[in-house]
Amino acid sequence: MDNGERFDTSRMKRSHWAAHFLEGWSVFIQNPLGKAGVGLLILFGLMAAASVIPPWIDPMYRPMTGVDPEIVRSVGPSLKHWLGTDFMGRDLFSQLLAGARIAFMVGVSAAFMTVVLGTAIGMTAGYMGRTVDTLLMRLADIIMVMPTLLFVLMLAALFGQLNIWTIVLIIGLFRWPGVSRVIRSQTLSLKQRPFIEAARVAGASHLRIIFRHIMPNVLPLSFLYMTFRVTSAITIEAALAFLGFGDPGTVSWGMMLQWVWKTGHMFKAPYWLLPPGICISLITLSFYMLGRAMDEVLDPRLRKEEDA
Amino acid sequence: MNARTAGTGNRNSEAEDLLEVEDLSVGYRTKRGFMRAVDGISFSLKKGRSLGLVGESGCGKTTVGMTLMGLLPPNGEVRGGRILFKGEDLVQKTEEEMQRLRWNEIAMIFQAAMNALNPVQRVEKQIAEAILTHAPDLPEEEALRRVEGLFQMVNLPGERMHDYPHQYSGGMKQRAIIAMALACNPDLIIADEPTTALDVIVQHQILEEIKALQDDLGISLIFISHDISIVADVSHDIGVMYAGQLVEYGSREEVFGDPRHYYTRALLASYPTLAGEKRDLVPIPGETPSLVAPPSGCRFCDRCDAAAEACSLERPDWLEISPTHRVLCARCLSS
Amino acid sequence: MPEPILKLEEVSKTYRTKGSMFGGRAAGLVKALQCVSLEVLKGEIFGLVGESGSGKTTAGRLIVKLESPESGRVLLNGEVLSTLRGRRLKAYRRRVQMIFQDPYQSLNPQLSIYESVVEPITIHRLAAGRERMERVLSMIQTVGLSPPESFVNRYPHQLSGGQRQRVAIARAMVLEPDFVVADEPTSMLDASYSAKIFNIILEMRKRFGITILFITHSLAAARYLCDRIAVIYRGHLMEVGTAAEVIHHPLHPYTRALIDALPKFGLAEQIPRYNTLLEEERAGVEAVGCPFFMRCRKAHRTQCGREVPGLEPVGPGRFVACFFPGNGGGAGGKGS
Repeated sequence: MDNGERFDTSRMKRSHWAAHFLEGWSVFIQNPLGKAGVGLLILFGLMAAASVIPPWIDPMYRPMTGVDPEIVRSVGPSLKHWLGTDFMGRDLFSQLLAGARIAFMVGVSAAFMTVVLGTAIGMTAGYMGRTVDTLLMRLADIIMVMPTLLFVLMLAALFGQLNIWTIVLIIGLFRWPGVSRVIRSQTLSLKQRPFIEAARVAGASHLRIIFRHIMPNVLPLSFLYMTFRVTSAITIEAALAFLGFGDPGTVSWGMMLQWVWKTGHMFKAPYWLLPPGICISLITLSFYMLGRAMDEVLDPRLRKEEDA
Repeated sequence: MNARTAGTGNRNSEAEDLLEVEDLSVGYRTKRGFMRAVDGISFSLKKGRSLGLVGESGCGKTTVGMTLMGLLPPNGEVRGGRILFKGEDLVQKTEEEMQRLRWNEIAMIFQAAMNALNPVQRVEKQIAEAILTHAPDLPEEEALRRVEGLFQMVNLPGERMHDYPHQYSGGMKQRAIIAMALACNPDLIIADEPTTALDVIVQHQILEEIKALQDDLGISLIFISHDISIVADVSHDIGVMYAGQLVEYGSREEVFGDPRHYYTRALLASYPTLAGEKRDLVPIPGETPSLVAPPSGCRFCDRCDAAAEACSLERPDWLEISPTHRVLCARCLSS
Repeated sequence: MPEPILKLEEVSKTYRTKGSMFGGRAAGLVKALQCVSLEVLKGEIFGLVGESGSGKTTAGRLIVKLESPESGRVLLNGEVLSTLRGRRLKAYRRRVQMIFQDPYQSLNPQLSIYESVVEPITIHRLAAGRERMERVLSMIQTVGLSPPESFVNRYPHQLSGGQRQRVAIARAMVLEPDFVVADEPTSMLDASYSAKIFNIILEMRKRFGITILFITHSLAAARYLCDRIAVIYRGHLMEVGTAAEVIHHPLHPYTRALIDALPKFGLAEQIPRYNTLLEEERAGVEAVGCPFFMRCRKAHRTQCGREVPGLEPVGPGRFVACFFPGNGGGAGGKGS
């Protein structure tokens, strides 16, 4: 075996991360919360993936534009429409499936934005310190006290209906301060650790210290926060849609709820009201449980026991 | 087993054995398997004597202390042996019975003593509380008077009784901890690295304190440390531990004056001294063996200069060098 | 006579401490170093011996430029540290390295041993490809982790404390620096492992001819390793001389108190007892003079309590900061 092969660093990096992941995963999956969370998420994932099937079977199953030509009002479940139809004869089941896709899309992309922003800003503030830190953290404070929902409502009132990506962007811009606070304090404590000082003594640049030494040590925490942020993004989107400020071009669960309400079917059509309501609750719950279980994996006290 | 006969009953002293540990085995359940932290150790301690347990980190010395106190963590387990304290087996005792014994008869000075004091309570109150828990009928003034006496005993100024722990220096905190250990007049004190975090001068004062108290009050002491020079300073008897086993046991003069086990010798050879000829330090090669799957033969044989093939296969037996000096080594007769 | 490679000229450093919310500790200034001057000669191992809080670590951090002095100058090879910027600073970083106290904290847990040791080479672009790898491997071999191939792919949590400290030494040495600050490199390790680290340091000096500032609280370790030592107390240098001289014939009452305090089973006859330490601090006086005045049995109230003694030569290469060096005591082993 020659040297080059033995020190294929990328391969050993992969195996290191794989080992870490497997170790974490074994703790994670032993946790009943983690198990339930993952189970539910798989279910929702399947729903989102399955959302392409009904429109492909028959155009009348298109969640937004497909209308059953024989039905013009909301009717209960039948063989043709498993969950029934809405006020103009659209299939509720295919709407529900499409809603899962939207929920994932909104939740994950908004959370991703939040966490990328929060991590970058938190690391910068923590590492740079002094004025930069003060400025960024005051900005974070200001944004943190602004009620996101109210702000979005005002924007919607000013500019009319908001595109779904605009909503994602706004959620991202408004929810990073919490993440950045946590990442900043983590960075502050990392900055004091001798291995960072060792890198400085070795002549490492600021960028190198941030990306090579600090970031790998805060990323697990960012990841944890991402799961919690998914939850909040999904609820915000649902609330907006329900209040009538959602993207009119998409079918989200919040949107479905709004249609129930607006067409006066609130108490007449439980087959229409309950599925999206339950789905919103369950998907937020599952991300929350995921986060809690991950919390346990990352908990330093738990790690200590493993070291012993 | 001959280990026990070697260690006990042979000292021609009239004092009785306060503590007799027989073939004690303790371990921890870990992810990688059962870790045998202490594997079949035996020793005895007479009233008023001090025993020093010396060894490197992971040799099981702290586990011995924790087992004697009945303070093993939840994943710890006594797998065999007896701990006879005043003739009663501590291993068989329930947690409730141990609680009565703890502080009253066996007290401990912990490794991380700096953090053993509650930061939001006055020192006098903490010590008084320790007294009152074990003597609930005592009036509080009486307890506080006893705290005052304890402060005098450990050379802490009485007016500092009312202070909070953070107002104390490291040495003062350590003295307060010692006062707390003495609070219920115990017969046995276990001191686990009591001076590790202290500076040389303070360490010296604390050690002098411990020695004097032990002499005056006739308390038995088990002194646990990685530092040979400190253990030699404080203890009458020395037990050298390696990888969960006691490998050499005897009086201080015997163990350090005429060390027989190759580990003891290696440990002494790796230690820089302040006087005498300046010699090269000889580090011990290799690493300590795994305690989850320890080698079947002598545990030190991989790192030992004198090891023969047989050493790695057979479990060594105790050899008696003198009535008070014994060694767990097959090849140590030539000194 | 070898020339000095490192010079500290009247260096002072003060830290501001935050007050504690629950009283007791008020916000204030901690004078870590006060007007410290010393010279370290090329190729020697110079020991800086002191208790915790004596300022010894601060001195080390100033030298590797993790901190800047408040006043005074630090010079390496005649270059003033505080003027270094940009490329010259980076060049300085290549020549001066540090070994930290706690090997459990000084390695990035996310980097493999190879990645940790190779980083300095990458930063300074000293080698690439096969040559870079060879350099890392041979350095890991040099610090006694053998065979190096079996270590490079591991991560810090898979190594013992002593092995980690060797990796940290390899990381510092891989740049082949001129000067290394070793900040209590063995205080977290077992005795048998300390000896290994000491011997590696000696080996490094022999092989690369580096100069080492060895910071320690242990006079015994200093005796073993160092050519010359300085004893530091509360930010002041108390005594400087060859290791043998300072340890076997200490002149400053503080050094004598340190030696008195060491446990010396079996060696008591060889080491005199000096009795220079007061059991209790002097009461009712303000400490404006000698830093050791409050605990010094030999101190004269008039002079020692009012003036700070300077570090004065008392013989060739021997300096003491005391008005009455070697005064009384130490005359044979009385007591003990």
